[in-house]
Amino acid sequence: MTALHDLTIAEAAPLLKAKKLSPVELTASYLSRIEAFDGQLNAYIRVLPEQAMAAARKAEGEIMKGGYKGPLHGVPIGLKDIYNTKGIATTGHSALYKDHVPEEDATTTRLLAEAGTILLGKLSTWEFAIGGTSFDLPWPPAKNPWNLAHDPAGSSSGSGAAIAAGLAMGSMGTDTGGSIRGPAAWCGISGLKPTYGLVSRRGILPLSFSLDHGGPMCWTSEDCALMMEVLAQHDPLDPGSADVAKPDFAGSLQKDVKGLRIGVIRHFFESDAETDPEIKAGIEAALVTFRELGCEVVDVTLSPLSAYGDAATLISRSEAFAFHEETLKATPELYGELARQRIMMGAFVRACDYVNALRERGRLIAEIATVFESVDVLICPTMPGVAPKLGDLGNMMSRSRPSFTRVFNLTGSPALSVCSGFSAAGLPLNMQIVGRPFQDDLVLRVGSAFEKATAFRDLRPAPWVQQALAAE
Amino acid sequence: MTSDLTLLTIREASTLIAERKLSPVELTKACIARTQALDATLITYVAFTPELALEAAEAAEVEIGTSGPRGPMHGIPVGLKDIYDTAGVATTAHSNLLKSRVPTEDAFTVTKLRESGAVITGKLGTFEFAIGGPSFDLFTPPARNPWDPARTTGGSSSGSGAAVAAGMVLGATGSDTGGSIRSPSSLCGLAGIKPTYGLLSRRGILPLSQSLDHAGPMCWTVEDAALMLQAMAGHDPLDPACADVAVPDFTEKLDETVKGKTIGVIRHFHETDHQAAPPVLAAIEQAIAVYTSLGCVIKAVTLPPLMDFAAVGLIIMSSEAFAIHEADQRATPELYGEIARDRISMGGLLTGADYVQALRRRQELCAAVAEAMIGVDVLLTAGSPFPAQPIDKVPKWLMYQKPSITMPFNVTGLPALALCAGYEPGTGLPVAIQLVGHPFAETTVFQLGHAYEQATQWRATRPALLAA
Amino acid sequence: MSETISTEAFQVLLDRAGISVKPEHMDEMRSAYMLLQAMRERVRKPRGYDAEPAHIFAPAGR
Repeated sequence: MTALHDLTIAEAAPLLKAKKLSPVELTASYLSRIEAFDGQLNAYIRVLPEQAMAAARKAEGEIMKGGYKGPLHGVPIGLKDIYNTKGIATTGHSALYKDHVPEEDATTTRLLAEAGTILLGKLSTWEFAIGGTSFDLPWPPAKNPWNLAHDPAGSSSGSGAAIAAGLAMGSMGTDTGGSIRGPAAWCGISGLKPTYGLVSRRGILPLSFSLDHGGPMCWTSEDCALMMEVLAQHDPLDPGSADVAKPDFAGSLQKDVKGLRIGVIRHFFESDAETDPEIKAGIEAALVTFRELGCEVVDVTLSPLSAYGDAATLISRSEAFAFHEETLKATPELYGELARQRIMMGAFVRACDYVNALRERGRLIAEIATVFESVDVLICPTMPGVAPKLGDLGNMMSRSRPSFTRVFNLTGSPALSVCSGFSAAGLPLNMQIVGRPFQDDLVLRVGSAFEKATAFRDLRPAPWVQQALAAE
Repeated sequence: MTSDLTLLTIREASTLIAERKLSPVELTKACIARTQALDATLITYVAFTPELALEAAEAAEVEIGTSGPRGPMHGIPVGLKDIYDTAGVATTAHSNLLKSRVPTEDAFTVTKLRESGAVITGKLGTFEFAIGGPSFDLFTPPARNPWDPARTTGGSSSGSGAAVAAGMVLGATGSDTGGSIRSPSSLCGLAGIKPTYGLLSRRGILPLSQSLDHAGPMCWTVEDAALMLQAMAGHDPLDPACADVAVPDFTEKLDETVKGKTIGVIRHFHETDHQAAPPVLAAIEQAIAVYTSLGCVIKAVTLPPLMDFAAVGLIIMSSEAFAIHEADQRATPELYGEIARDRISMGGLLTGADYVQALRRRQELCAAVAEAMIGVDVLLTAGSPFPAQPIDKVPKWLMYQKPSITMPFNVTGLPALALCAGYEPGTGLPVAIQLVGHPFAETTVFQLGHAYEQATQWRATRPALLAA
Repeated sequence: MSETISTEAFQVLLDRAGISVKPEHMDEMRSAYMLLQAMRERVRKPRGYDAEPAHIFAPAGR
């Protein structure tokens, strides 16, 4: 019998529905794991044991009375601590917002609660989703469960760490330049940046209005799809929210991927950015798997990677600075060093540069739409390497290694990171699957098919965690 | 008799053409003659193309003779502001930078006008790149006001304003980014509309500021403006800002009563925020009286301060304009006139955060205006705070020093019509009111403008220059 | 910010923007910039973080 914390949402849901597993038991299991291990991982800023148990009892009562709401009912989750939770501090992992207690739930918070999830707590993040792995904040940064000396990536660092270490069954992150997919990559889990506008941004501390996306981070793509079923709702109070028919996530998972055309953006990782050989090997092996599944694989060409990065930087820095400039000027000391420096850069972006970045964005969106006329999904790496030492992101973020993830914040395309294997050092390898706008269900179907055709989801991280458990 | 043809409205001319009582060729010849008589004084054209016009007029005549007119614009002489791309004819934005630029394709709205059968007479003068004027350092001098050639037409659709007021054409296209249709319409005694943002395609029109630019018609009467707008409208999937909305019949309600319509007067705009000259204030009060006598309900409305709209508009406009021109200004600044160069340069001093903050304020202003317009059919204020100034006394930084009374409706994207509301005693210079409607409610705006026009006699007066 | 920007500081802004201004236009440009500065302050006011820019973008297909 699989340990409770190793169950996926897809595995737990039928057990919960059949009343073979109690939400109370499940929640208690997670809470004791958090208590035992989070001190070493720092995935959580704030754990909510009483609230979680109360919610679990409520869910149990509902299910017992025949009021089963769906696959998320009774599922314990964590929320990145930039999702507003009514009455519970939402800090952005910053001294500035230490006592910021929202009066309203974020739309996502509310939707997940209504679906019957159990909120275990608020997860670690880079300060205001931008400040990197910082050691000068009121709470320590999260660590990588595969190797505690290594970085989980960010900014949804706590979400990545919590899922990988079995400290939550599902979680929410946000992604402005790669902040869901990066931690998904380095923590060896599945993370989806949905199409821009598919998931409401209302009640999420903004980093960059036109690049921010909220999305699920889970052990499998299938679990992400189950969460998206609940998350993808039009929100008229979010000006960026798309009023489109919800993709059929559940239905799409049932279909196979035979005949799908996969476009490999080869120049991204063979010339545009230095990429570790093990990452490349993981991609090549994945392509073999996809061919075996009946997919067509071809190479495609987009603009050079740096074109996307430049435009995205100008846009995100300007928007972030516009949002923070008042407080940055009034109380700079309440910001950590990295967040302050990164946000301040926005002061130097000229308006015409921002406008030109928007114009470039339009061109790049039109270009990728053309590429999607001949393929159904695109593939490239998520990150150019595996998780480096904690905080050692200097080399990773340098200009010789422009980002694979920001491309799809700029175009708004749905982009999923999945685990594509393990390095010789035992760290997860990564791959990114990208689709047309609002074809998030197809992207998740491809990710899920890959996960089911390979054995990577069978290996959980940190044998030290299991050994510690066995020792109890 | 020939010169009287140029004083026909589009409505009158199209009726006569449909009845085969007026030859499109004769009409075009009359406009050509008028142009030849007055263009040296008024300097309206950058590129006058009478031969092409006559060709088009002859083709129109043949077709009308066989199968009747395509519509009210068939055979009507129309001029194009020289930022509208015309295939095979130089489109220069009145700048030395683009003096030899010959597009290979018509602008979308130009194609629409040609399809309606309109006779294109040539390319009309404009402030350089729709921002730099009145300028004396371009390759031709600035257009002059037919009501007093020592005065400016207003801008930036300067040549368009002069050409229509002088009877050189029956209609002209303009563009409006902060008031560039409504200002010359006001100062030249015309009816000019900046439609709802996204109603008309901007494709093929040299941009000044993409999120504030609007195309639109300038004519002698409100009805004519409706007819010309009809011909220009249509969804363009290649203009990302073009709305995919059904185009109504803009003339549908022209003869319906306006009794019971509610008019919201934005008093603070023209009384305090940018205090208008006495003849303008008097004209507004008189217009209110006219609407009251027509059975309208008059209401006072309060919007955010005019300066807020001006700040948002100028920051957005300057940022976007500088983004467009930065490379050329750096490479060949000498090919720009002084006013365009300096006004555009200001955009380089703004930061990305300035632009983003202006966009956030823009959302708030849109919401505030929408709120104020609940229960109101149109807003009313001045078309211009003052009549035409002497052409050599237009302050270069006027838009910075005093808030524009037209810019709020570029910022909010609402349809805004300027129409003649009388003439200044003594100078005889036109003054104008401005009517602003709900999004895509041009039909109602035209209805209320037409009712006012019909209840007043202003359209009977033409510039003295035309009688000479 | 009510004092006029100094010539030196203004020159820095011009250099950053890559703009050259004729000496005889310097004063009027500086004055115009001060008016622009006032506008920059006008568009800033306390606002909640749900105050979004007007251009919030739509990926193709929306």
